[in-house]
Amino acid sequence: MAITTSVHTQKDLLTHFQQLALQMLGSNGQQASRWATLRRAAIERLPAVRFPTRRDEDWKYTSVSAITNETWALGRAVPIAAEDLSRAFFDGLDALRIVFVNGIWQPELSTPLSEWPKGLTLQPLVEAVDRHGNEWVVQVLKQRLSHVNPFVTLNTALSQDGMLLQTAASACIDLPVHCVFIATEQDEPFVQAPQLFVDAHPNSKLTFIEHYLPQGTAAPRYFTCATTQVRVAANAEVHHYRLQREGAWGRQINYCAVTQARDSRYYSYATDLGGMLVRNNQDVILEASNTETFLNGVYLLGGEQHVDNQTFMDHAVPHCQSNELYKGIVMGKARGVFNGKVLVRPDAQKTNAFQQNSTLLLSPTAVMDAKPQLEIFADDVRCSHGATIGQLDENAIFYLRTRGLSEKEARKLLQFAFVAEVLDRMPDEPVRQAVCQLVQDKLDELS
Amino acid sequence: MLTIKNLHVSVEDKEILRGINLQVNAGEVHAIMGPNGSGKSTLANVLAGREDYEVTQGEVIFNGQDLLDMEVDERAHAGVFMAFQYPVEIPGVSMATFLKSAINAMRVVRGQEELGPAQMLKFIRERLRMLGMDESVLRRSLNEGFSGGEKKRNEMLQMALLEPTLAILDETDSGLDIDALRIVADAVNKLRSPERAFIIVTHYQRLLNYIVPDYVHVLYDGRIVRSGGKELALELEARGYDWIKEEVAAG
Ligand SMILES: Nc1ncnc2c1ncn2[C@@H]1O[C@H](COP(=O)(O)OP(=O)(O)OP(=O)(O)O)[C@@H](O)[C@H]1O
Ligand SMILES: [Mg+2]
Repeated sequence: MAITTSVHTQKDLLTHFQQLALQMLGSNGQQASRWATLRRAAIERLPAVRFPTRRDEDWKYTSVSAITNETWALGRAVPIAAEDLSRAFFDGLDALRIVFVNGIWQPELSTPLSEWPKGLTLQPLVEAVDRHGNEWVVQVLKQRLSHVNPFVTLNTALSQDGMLLQTAASACIDLPVHCVFIATEQDEPFVQAPQLFVDAHPNSKLTFIEHYLPQGTAAPRYFTCATTQVRVAANAEVHHYRLQREGAWGRQINYCAVTQARDSRYYSYATDLGGMLVRNNQDVILEASNTETFLNGVYLLGGEQHVDNQTFMDHAVPHCQSNELYKGIVMGKARGVFNGKVLVRPDAQKTNAFQQNSTLLLSPTAVMDAKPQLEIFADDVRCSHGATIGQLDENAIFYLRTRGLSEKEARKLLQFAFVAEVLDRMPDEPVRQAVCQLVQDKLDELS
Repeated sequence: MLTIKNLHVSVEDKEILRGINLQVNAGEVHAIMGPNGSGKSTLANVLAGREDYEVTQGEVIFNGQDLLDMEVDERAHAGVFMAFQYPVEIPGVSMATFLKSAINAMRVVRGQEELGPAQMLKFIRERLRMLGMDESVLRRSLNEGFSGGEKKRNEMLQMALLEPTLAILDETDSGLDIDALRIVADAVNKLRSPERAFIIVTHYQRLLNYIVPDYVHVLYDGRIVRSGGKELALELEARGYDWIKEEVAAG
């Protein structure tokens, strides 16, 4: 894939980003507010940002040159018709909708706030900070200023809109919240930097979906630099779907950080189907005992796609369970990366941590780099990890073909079965069915 | 229906079938017996289309078509079915999904309409009952964790659903208790018809009490060294294979 490169240095790019961010901040006219102060602090840090190279251990397998070589404009609010959204929504799924177009929140395409159920509130981050004085949001944004991942700083500086979702204590929210991030064609390549904060208060339950896709069949050139922050309070339960269907020219760097309080449950279901260059970081910090965490991931890659999944499970306290299962199929000249870090700190006795990454590598030019990293400093724990890279079982293909299935059908059936183990873990039936259909479509496209 | 002429087959340069000749007509049941390693499964697999085997000589004509020139699934579409000696376990593919895909794939090539979910379930249920199988198997992964006997019954279920014209049963009776054996034999007998033929590979004469063959062949060292009626099976049961081996050695 040829990328039209404008010759510029990283410093030029950062200066350019800084100018864009300052313009945006100026046009908001809120320089004096707490929100603006936080934003300004991030913007000021931009020149000091250093983009990672392959020499950085955490970026060994992923080059970000497809991002640093382009010149990016900011996403603009382009009008988009409601019917153009149909691709973004799932049959049979009754959900509360939050729609972003090119990184900008579109209240008129989203579920009106008046229709939100009791016990669940939605606030733009700027309001959460300036009007409601949300100290959690402020604290997270402050911590992000010195984050090791430079794209987190970039996200804070360039974000045009961010949302805070909050459950009330003991609220059980039956309707999932469906956050759609649509990218449309713009005359220049653009960056969108949405922010999502999810705060599940004690004993509450919430399901939310992050869904990234381009509009229609267009192939805009864009870069999604997204962050998600989730706080799961005591005995709360959060189900987090992430469905990534970025376009052929879409690049995405995604950072998701989760903190879990005692007795809480957090389940993530990540599906990566699209994108040209994608990097997902999923960090889970266990802050108190008796938590349960499931990280589920599926990736289907073909062509020259590059998708890198990094997970980090931080067991700092005793009696916590984590279970990680990432499975995917890599074809064509695509490259998949999985780096799963599990840290069991000295105090984290009775930890139960399981991790498995399995990949089908279906072409001689496809590549998979799998690196499970288990660091255990406690002695009374049960931890296991494994990584396998394999091919389809030719005996199974023969068996299916003797029953009349074509070779293509047989392979597709086996490929689907391989990832179905993960898809079957999705508890929301309409979401699971929609994702299964998209997986089938992608398998059709690749076979 | 099936004509095998001077079939020679090698695996990794080792000749396993060394000139097989066999004529199977519609309506007939042929039993193939023979010592371990004599090439019975090789013959069954070559007919079904497994690619690990190299046919070095000979031909196989099935209903006027060159069987060896056909793809594995084309053979299935033409009506060839092999019940595996060792059915493959396929985790993640549910029995329901698999059976539906197979039945509908077969219907499409036969110019029939695909079955809708209700008709499909009715059809599958009826055949499950015929094999004495519980409906709960439909939710399980194909053959995964099935006992030996369950796997064999599952092969017969597939045969009953796909309704082949030529069914090759490779040791379907091995590992079945007497009740299961009767159920399997009943299923085969129900499917027997003037249009269908069966090749039944077995080590045990017991099965042939229930499925009475028209011919019995002894496959030894890659050749059919003796053919006869159903009495041959009784003789083999009583005398073993040594006398045949001696006869072959004596030329
Ligand atoms: N894929 C293979 N690779 C190497 N050798 C093979 C292969 N398949 C079969 N053989 C050999 O071919 C010979 C015949 O095997 P085959 O399985 O056809 O025998 P069989 O008559 O079915 O025996 P049994 O009664 O034990 O099932 C054996 O020596 C076996 O080891
Ligand atoms: Mg055999």
